Formats: sequence, C-alpha cells, structure tokens
Amino acid sequence: MSVMAPQAPPSSGPATAGQVARRRWRRSRGIIIAVLALVVLGVVLAALRPRVRAEYLDPESPGQQGTRALAEITRQHGTPVTVVRGASAAADQMRAHPDAVLVIARSERLLPADLGTLQSLPGDRLLIAPTTDTLQALAPGVDRTGGAAGTLSPGCSLPAATYAGPVGFTGSEVYTAPAKATKCYLSDGEPNLVQLAVNGSTVTVLGSGDPLTNERLGENGNAALGMNLVGARPSAVWLLPDPPPPGGGGQKSFGDLVPFGVKLAVLQALVAVVLVALWRSRRLGPVVVEPLPVVVRSAEAVEGRARLYRARRAGDRAAQALRAGALERLTRLLGMPTSAAADPRMASEIVAAVAAHTGQDQAVIGAALYGPPPVDDAELVRLAGFLDDLERRVRTS
Amino acid sequence: MVLTGRTGLLAVLGAAVLVVAPSWWTLLAVNAVLAVLVMIDLALAGNVRRLGLHRSGDTNVRLGEKASVALIVENLGDRKLKARLRDAWPPSAGASPRAVDLTVPPGERRRVDMRLVPTRRGDRRAVTVTVRSHGPLGLAARQLSRPVPWTVRVLPAFPSRRHLPAKLARLRELTGQHAALIRGQGTEFDSLREYVDGDDVRSIDWRATARRGDVVVRTWRPERDRRIYLVLDTGRTAAGRVGDIPRLDCSMDAALLLGALASRAGDRVDLLAYDRRVRARVEGSARTEVLTAMVRAMAPLEPELIEADAAGMVSTLLSRVRQRCLVVLLTDLNATAMEEGLLPLLPQLTAKHLVMIAAVSDPRVSEMATARGDAAAVYDAAAAERARADRRRITAELRTYGVEVVDAPPDEIAPALADAYLSLKAAGRL
Repeated sequence: MSVMAPQAPPSSGPATAGQVARRRWRRSRGIIIAVLALVVLGVVLAALRPRVRAEYLDPESPGQQGTRALAEITRQHGTPVTVVRGASAAADQMRAHPDAVLVIARSERLLPADLGTLQSLPGDRLLIAPTTDTLQALAPGVDRTGGAAGTLSPGCSLPAATYAGPVGFTGSEVYTAPAKATKCYLSDGEPNLVQLAVNGSTVTVLGSGDPLTNERLGENGNAALGMNLVGARPSAVWLLPDPPPPGGGGQKSFGDLVPFGVKLAVLQALVAVVLVALWRSRRLGPVVVEPLPVVVRSAEAVEGRARLYRARRAGDRAAQALRAGALERLTRLLGMPTSAAADPRMASEIVAAVAAHTGQDQAVIGAALYGPPPVDDAELVRLAGFLDDLERRVRTS
Repeated sequence: MVLTGRTGLLAVLGAAVLVVAPSWWTLLAVNAVLAVLVMIDLALAGNVRRLGLHRSGDTNVRLGEKASVALIVENLGDRKLKARLRDAWPPSAGASPRAVDLTVPPGERRRVDMRLVPTRRGDRRAVTVTVRSHGPLGLAARQLSRPVPWTVRVLPAFPSRRHLPAKLARLRELTGQHAALIRGQGTEFDSLREYVDGDDVRSIDWRATARRGDVVVRTWRPERDRRIYLVLDTGRTAAGRVGDIPRLDCSMDAALLLGALASRAGDRVDLLAYDRRVRARVEGSARTEVLTAMVRAMAPLEPELIEADAAGMVSTLLSRVRQRCLVVLLTDLNATAMEEGLLPLLPQLTAKHLVMIAAVSDPRVSEMATARGDAAAVYDAAAAERARADRRRITAELRTYGVEVVDAPPDEIAPALADAYLSLKAAGRL
C-alpha cells in the first residue's frame, strides 16, 4: 500500500498578458469592492446626517437657523430677553429674576451637573426639543415617543396656542404626558406641545425649535406661538449652552473605563499571538541551499569591446576591422589566396578585380577598402553599408 | 516539539471565557488546561525516533527526464504515527510533492513516491527527511529531521544522439559491409577476390593473379582498433554561455556523439576532463560500455573559473598514451588562451599523435557581425569582425601545425565533429 503523491496541477505554458490581468483582477477585486463599498457608505451617511448649524436657535444670530427675530419682537413687546451661555450664568439670572421664563435650547449640550443646577431654580421653563435626560430632570412624566411633521391646529385650551392658531411643525417630536398636563398640537393623538406644572412652576415642552427660527418665523402662527411662550412672564432668560469643552468630565483614564475581563482577554489574546507565532515559526525541515552555476555569456568580451569602440569613438579601429573582414570574404569570393587579404601589395589587384565584378569606379572601391579612416560615426555607418553592397555584388556577379 | 494552529485557536477561545468570568484564576486555569492538553497530545503522538526510513528507486536520470525515488517509512514504535513528512531535495532536483500526510499503524510501512525532474546536470543528493508526528488532539506534534542519503546522478541530455543513425550509415559505407577498393594511407589489407568489371585496375594483385591463373584483386577495409582520446577543457573558457547553455555542455554533447560513433566503428575511446588537474577520466572501457561510462563521468563536471593548464594537460596525455592516437581537444579558440597555453606545446603532441581541436563558436558573434543601421550596431559589427579575425588567425596557425580544426555553432558542432572523424577515417589517417 502506498501513499500516492498528489498529482501536480497540469503545467500550462507561460501565462499570456490577458491571463495575468485576469488573475490580478481576481486577486484584488475583493479589496476594490470593499473600498468602493466604504466610499459609498461614507457618502450616504454624510448625506443622511441632519445638518444642525452652529447658529441653530441662537437669539443673537441673524442667520436662517438663528432666533434673533423672535428675541427682538419679544423685546419690542416689552419683555426683555437675556441670553446666557452657561448653566451657572442662567442660575444667576434666574435667582435675580425669579419671575422670568427660562428658555432652554440645545439641551444636548448640557452636562448632568448642569441639569442638577437647573432643576433647583425657581421660575417657569420652556424646553425646546429637549433630550431624554433633560426631560427626566426638568419635566418628569413626559417622554418622547416618536416624530411628526405637518401644520397642526392647537386643539387645546392653552391660550398661547389658541391665540397663535395653526403652527407648522417639521421634524418635531411628540410626547406622552401625564393626564393632568395640557396637550396641544396633537398629531395622531400625541402632542407636539405639552404644558404641565412641576414643583409649582410651569414647564412647557415644545417638540421642535424649527417654528421659532428666523427662516420660519413668518409662517402660520409661528411668531405668535413663540412670543406667547417666551414672553409669558415679565422677562425671559434664553439659555443656549456653549458646547462642553472636549474631554470635560473625562477624569477617568481609558484603562479605568475598560472592564477587567476585557483586559484579561487582551492578555490571553497576547498568549494566543505568541502560540500562533510559535506555530508559524517552526519550519518543516531545513532551508535547502545549493551552489548555483556561474552565468557568463560567451559573447560578453566581444560586446565589451564594441562598447569600448563606441565610448572612445574609435572609428579608425572599427573601420579597420570591418575592412579586414570584408577583404577576407572578397578575396575568397574572387578565388584569390587567403594571404592576399592582409597583403598591401595585392591592394591594386584586389581593387581591380572587385571593380571588374561590380562595375564600380576603382577609385571609390580603393577608398572604401584602403582609404583613410572615417571622420565620424555617420561616415562609418556609410562605409559599412558600402562594404556590404560590394560583397553582395561580387557574390551575385 | 511543534505547536499547531489549533492551540492558538483554543487560546483565543480562552479569551472569550475570560470576558465571561473575569478573574486572574480563570486566566491561570485556561492556560493550565491548554498546557495540560498540549502535554497529553505530545505524550500520545507517534514516536518519531523509532521510525525506519529506507529508499529505493532511480539513481540515474537523463537531464530533462523524470526520476522517481521511493521512501519507505516503517513504524517501529507501538503507537500509530499520524504525520506530515517532507523529503527535502536541493531546488534544482525539482522534487515534488513538497510534503505529504501519512498514517502508519504500528509495525506497518508506507511508501512515499517522490518525483524528480532535475533542471541541471550533476549529482543531486537528498538532504533530510523531516517527520512531524501529530498527537490525537492535533494540538502539538513531535518533529525530527534525519538524513536518509540517496544520490540521483543527472546525466547529460545528449540531444545530438538523433544524428547518430545518419552518421552510422555513413560509417557502414566505409567499413565491413562495403569493402572499399580505394587504397588509402593506413587502410588495412582485407582479402583477395576475383576481379569483376568496374574494379580499379590498380588494385589487381599480380602475384596472386599469376598463382591462380585468374585475375585477382585485393580489397581493403578501413583501419580498426585505433585509439581516440577525447579531452574536455573544463577551464574558464568552458563556462561561457553560448545561447543559454555553457560551452562545456555543447562540448560534452559533441564528445558523446563522437564517442558513440567511434566505439561502433571499432575504435577505442578514452576520455579526459582537465583544467588544472584531472576532473574525470574514462580509460580502457569495453566498447559496449564506453558510452555509459562517459556519460556517468561527465555528469558531475562543472566548468571551473580558472585558466586551464595546457602544459599539465599535454604532459598528462603524453604519460597516459604510448601508441599513436587521435587526440580530440574540445575547447574554445580563444586567442590569448591558445597563444599562451597550447600553441607552444603543440609540436610535442603532433609529433606522436594526430590532433583535432573542436570549438563551439557563438552565434551571437555572427549575429553582431551582420548588425547594421546605426553607429552602435556598426561598432558591434566591427568588434565581432575583430573577434572572428582573431579566430581565423588562430585557426590558420593551428593548421600550420597539422591540427584539424572544427569550428561550428552549438547546434552543429556535434555532427561537424562526427563528419571530421569520418573523413579522417575514410582517408585512413587515423
């Protein structure tokens, strides 16, 4: 019984360019497709990303997404609007004016500590599209349930809403609220605006800031709703928190955040890497070396001499060699003794015989075979051509 | 000891266990279990030391053909051997497969067939046999490398043997089958027979005619039992590549054709390979075996990158051969090497022997000589003309010593040398 050697694949000849290209394509197409997929994914994600501008809901910004128009008309109607950019500044203002409305926009920028500060403040609040954390802290009992869009009518008894009339909500959030809360602008039964009493102060939750922006303020009853909500009290404090400084609150190092089990797993993975390295590093037997034969081309010396001639522009020596070769062949063709080729005394005889066979002028043949060396490369090339021509004519004559 | 990929995989799975139950004790336990499993596997793996390894198969192969060498693996231990085996040969041996998987129960044996397609002439020696014996779990293995000597001699390809039938046919025209009536210098008297129309009147033996009362002619046959001494120059000039093969290989090919032809013609053929010392020698072989002996002697020859010592070669030759013979020197017509080496010593050789020099010319030089077009090509042609003139000069000089010169490109050198030998034989000059 024998273990038969696995048959080697049939050896095909050298691959053609097409086969090579196909093989390269087959080998690299996975990578190319993966890169293309990544690019497409990136483009799609960038296109889907909601564009929130830095100025969004900023009462000092005149841009499309700012709310300077609302702040200005509220001031013109006798309610001063103070803009603050941090929770502590808002706390100072609210303690100074306990009867003011605190408008909280962009609450995603608030830190948990800020929410604690705001929770303890007196006065009413208007939360514009708050985050879940903000809702839990400032409007307990109200939860986000989904999104809605469209122009809705108030459908409630809240004066601020009924005076304003229909308002266009785009990309708004809807809420569930406790039964005793006032719910307005219902979309499929769920309110876009909720007002409820928390610890004796009135908290209003508005699902979207879009109706208040400079761009949309003129539509429907948007301006009226905004003015009614912001100017409900003698004064208003508009809190637009600055983005928290990067790394703020990151007192913990990365190591503290990684669970202990994961650290041990990484250690074990290192052990695995070492084991795999041991597996791969052991060869099945030694590397076999063998002395290789030298590769020297036999014609190398001749080629070297040719390059030397060229480098030194040795037209004289080259012409001498060409003439000697041509003379040797010509004398043999003409049936002269071989010694004649190298014998200068036979020159006139050879020239005459060649002239007789070719019908060319003796002087021209003499100059070609025994004349002065060529002055440049072009003349050398011409001489070589002429000698070839002479030989051909003598051979065919 | 060798680990396998499975061990690494198990270690990675251990990492998953650590995420579920994070503790230093778990880490210790996971690796302890792994280590114990590896130990068990090693202990249960087949014993690589108690293996009998034997070889059989071809010892000779002609270059370009396929040899097969079998390796017998005998399990002398008491556990089953489940192993991966690699029989390592030098790259130019063209051995396949690279490695095989085999299972050998205790007390049994298995055969692994290696196929060798060598890419170069010479001796190819097996390096080692490596056996990696896996345990039943496949986590670890024992590995051992052991030399199991075997040599495959890669013989010259002898591509010119296709010329042999034609040359033998020419030889038969000269020898026994066709009695020659031409009397040449050195031809031997064969027999007397009756005159028939067309015979050369000069071959009539008048004395025998007088005795028999009938016209009798003498017949002659070409001489037999002459001695041919083939000398291969393995010096630096033999290393140069003509086309893609070293000049030495072309010379060998020509020498083999001549050897085959001369041994059939009834001549004794000897071979000497020399650069600064004797590299190979075949002397006194029986006629039927001389070709085999030559091929075997030539197989390991490599050209040495040193200047050949012509004086040493001539003195070796003169000391070995007493009777007159045909010395065929296979070398290159390199002007400097010839003028400084062989030329001054030729009279010693030609005084006793008939000398023939066979040289492989490079077709590249002829190609360069016909190059035209631009200055570079014409300079090439001039250099080639210069080389050819040197070659002609040295050939002419050699001929003045009475040396026969055969100068031909690689694909024609073997038949040209055979023809030169046949014409010498026909002329009875041996």
